[in-house]
Amino acid sequence: MAIRIEKTFQVQEPLESVWKFLSDPKKVANCVPGAQITEAVDDRTYKGVIKVQVGPSVTDYKGQVHIERLDDENHEIEIVGKGQDVRGKGSASMKMTGKVRSLPDGSTEVASVSEVNVVGLLAQLGARMINEVSNKMFEEFTKNFKARLQQERPQQSTPQMPPSTGSGATDEPRPIKALPLVLSVMGESIVRFFRRIFKGSSS
Amino acid sequence: MLQKTSPEIGGMGHSVKRKEDLRFIQGKGTYVDDVSLPGMVYGHMVRSPYAHARLIGIRSEETKKLPGVLAVITGEDLAKAGLSWMPTLFHDKQMVLATGKVLFQSQEVAFVVAEDRYTAADAAELIEVDYEDLPVLVDPHRALDADAPILREDREEKTNHIFHWEVGDRQATDGVFQTAPVKAELNAFFPRCHPAPLETCGCVADYNPATTKLTVWETSQAPHAHRTLFALVAGLPEQNIRIIAPDIGGGFGNKVPIYPGYVCAVVASLQLGRPVKWIESRSENLQSTGFARDYHMKAEIAADRDGKVKALRVKTLADHGAFNAAAQPSKFPAGLFSICTGSYDFSEAFCEVDGVYTNKAPGGIAYRCSFRVTEAAYLIERAMDVLAQELKMDPVELRLKNFVPADKFPYLCPLGWSYDSGDYKAAMELALEKVGYSELRKEQEEKRRKGELMGIGISSFTEIVGAGPAHTFDICGIKMFDSCEIRVHPTGKAIARMGTKAQGQGHETTFAQIVAQELGIPVADITVEEGDTDTAPYGLGTYASRSTPVAGAATAMASRKIRDKARKLAAHLLEASEEDLEWEPGKFFVKGAPSKFKTIQEIAFAAYTNFPAGVEAGLEAVHYYDPPNLTFPFGTYICVVDIDKGTGEPKVRRFVAVDDCGNIINPMIVEGQIHGGLTEGLAIAFMQEIAYDESGNVQGGTFMDYLIPTAVETPNWETDKTCTPSPHHPLGAKGVGESPNVGSPAAFVNAVVDALSHLGVKHIDMPIAPWKIWKILKEKGISE
Repeated sequence: MAIRIEKTFQVQEPLESVWKFLSDPKKVANCVPGAQITEAVDDRTYKGVIKVQVGPSVTDYKGQVHIERLDDENHEIEIVGKGQDVRGKGSASMKMTGKVRSLPDGSTEVASVSEVNVVGLLAQLGARMINEVSNKMFEEFTKNFKARLQQERPQQSTPQMPPSTGSGATDEPRPIKALPLVLSVMGESIVRFFRRIFKGSSS
Repeated sequence: MLQKTSPEIGGMGHSVKRKEDLRFIQGKGTYVDDVSLPGMVYGHMVRSPYAHARLIGIRSEETKKLPGVLAVITGEDLAKAGLSWMPTLFHDKQMVLATGKVLFQSQEVAFVVAEDRYTAADAAELIEVDYEDLPVLVDPHRALDADAPILREDREEKTNHIFHWEVGDRQATDGVFQTAPVKAELNAFFPRCHPAPLETCGCVADYNPATTKLTVWETSQAPHAHRTLFALVAGLPEQNIRIIAPDIGGGFGNKVPIYPGYVCAVVASLQLGRPVKWIESRSENLQSTGFARDYHMKAEIAADRDGKVKALRVKTLADHGAFNAAAQPSKFPAGLFSICTGSYDFSEAFCEVDGVYTNKAPGGIAYRCSFRVTEAAYLIERAMDVLAQELKMDPVELRLKNFVPADKFPYLCPLGWSYDSGDYKAAMELALEKVGYSELRKEQEEKRRKGELMGIGISSFTEIVGAGPAHTFDICGIKMFDSCEIRVHPTGKAIARMGTKAQGQGHETTFAQIVAQELGIPVADITVEEGDTDTAPYGLGTYASRSTPVAGAATAMASRKIRDKARKLAAHLLEASEEDLEWEPGKFFVKGAPSKFKTIQEIAFAAYTNFPAGVEAGLEAVHYYDPPNLTFPFGTYICVVDIDKGTGEPKVRRFVAVDDCGNIINPMIVEGQIHGGLTEGLAIAFMQEIAYDESGNVQGGTFMDYLIPTAVETPNWETDKTCTPSPHHPLGAKGVGESPNVGSPAAFVNAVVDALSHLGVKHIDMPIAPWKIWKILKEKGISE
């Protein structure tokens, strides 16, 4: 199942520091809920894991990301990633393009377009679930991204220090819990069901 | 005409309450999952998330460490025993557990056995499988493209093409088309749907190492055929295999094939020497077991300007998924699809079907349908409406003009079938009168003037059921006869056993009524038993509406053998000659002296206590019935639908179903069958599809996406009947359980298209969900 996700958000930081952060996969990965870089293969290829939990089942995607294109001049980055759940729940692949630009008020806009292809259990749940899960993931990602970027500011002189833990950002990959999302989506269908009964209409 | 018995005897034509319901309504049925044996353990299937992938490796070390885990079986393990592949019911083979690669999402990859069901499920989660994904083939129209991936590397022919099948005279048909003044063309897709029986598939396999006997409780519509296949495939001696199909919660064709889960449970039981239970989940049932339909069809009709049809040309692409696991007679790759000329008198016809492999679950089975009759009936009934639209003629008028006339039976159709009997006009006229057809057309005209949408859909279908005559019909070589064995006990009570197996059809009542009809033993005194291969006579099972046409006939014939012997015994008891005796249900009496009689109960007692010299003791008989022809039930269905302009929602206002299934055994059961089949037809027409996305992910794999109609969606069904007995069936019966599912989809779709025909709409593919109609209305500027 292929889906396209377009997201844009703003951060109150200058373009250069946002770009520097965004072009470091290790830093970005740590903002993705449930994700962690486990190994650097070369300066553009990394191995990692991401956990996604739907109900009681945790999908443990293991795979790698590769920076296809890094354009410092135009501040554009293209990343492809691919992961497989070893316990047979399926796989996911992604191609993401990120672009940053300065806004007149001095803040920076981050725009991303992702094409994600999901195979297996999650894909059977259909677009309604995947969209919800990806929205939630992105919301958390933005929060983490902003928090970590802010933490970087006083530590810019010592960039080799790992970012400290704080407000929603930790180094431990925690699975994204999709259960509440599933429930809210199911909640909607329950409402539809009752509406159908009271309306007494066919099909 | 058959003599009607008293209500106490309860023979044919009585609405006897279903004997089996006494236990079902109390929750006392015994289904496979109710079977619990000492020392029983549980299996769980590990399935592929990929539609097409190379299988790199399976790691189960962690799984085996989990307390309670007893065995992990993989395709490699089965390969050592030569069991990693098994034959399908149709000239193909299928992987039991994957080796080399997987070919559809949810394909069976490994089987885990543990002390309890929970441990088995947890253990399955710990198995690590490495895959390398391969290009996926979802669209059957692309299956034969040069760049399409070849799915079946095991086959010698490196192509996704499975078969080409054609019947009829191509040249003569093409000739008619070249000169015909009117031509109508329909391209219709009958989507992949699934029988979704209430009870999923499952089994308990119990191999006893001490007796070397294997007993398998199984959700099987054809237990004898399964026993023979187990013997042939696994090399076990057939007398040591016992298949028991206990109560079954719906089959509809889904429980005809042998599934990998059964084989794995048997292998695990052989390995462990303990009973192994395996029960499918709902999603496993929907995603991996026998689907139905998935036919991409094109029909063309050549006709005169006045609407007389001349020739029919049909070209179809059949999507069989990863393995051709069709369950149908071995000489018919597209089943009985060649009944596609339907109720109409075509002089020429030609029909061709090509089957292809795709990365989807294997099938297709006959879902409440006599082997692709549903696809055929839908196609011709839709195509007739397209022709009517082309000619601007009322669809009723067009049908009446082209029906095979009642005096032309037995009728030989251009595709080779000999229809046994029919009176299509009578059924049509009754349906028209019941629904008030001409009033409805007036109402429709008025509504159109007001901008409201209302449609009337007609389907006057003909079926072909009761497979079948031994000269033409077999499944895996086994001829499609069926059987009945009756034993009358000394006290005049009886037990009857058949080679068929009910899944909700009510055989325990209807077959008892046939015995009651023929022997006059009250229906309450007759036990009907099916499904145990150690006790029942051999038969091919229940599907394709074959139970009444074949096993029902066998029951009548076995009863008549008993009656013949009863006559000898009665002659002895009455000291009269056999020729001087006359029969009325329940007794023999002396001609002209009705007070001199012996009841069947007295005769039965004498069979064990006072039989004459030269006559064997006992009163029993067995009959294997080879039908001389198939039977051809028919009917006319009329659907009235209103469409909400704002939402596109179609609402079935009325549905009149006139069926003709020949002589009826139990009118109440027939009506129940029709209600059930129409409800399934409604679901197929409006709600259900097992769809796949471009990566081969199942999009209809749960009841959240694959919708089951409830009382809320189901309209009021108005049923009626005409009666044209089958001339060759001993009881004049034809079979009815599938007619409503075969005949109704076209009626629903014709009604919706009729409601929109003035807007230029010619066809909408099923399932007609409200969004499809809404989209059309929006394009036409009717919905906002």
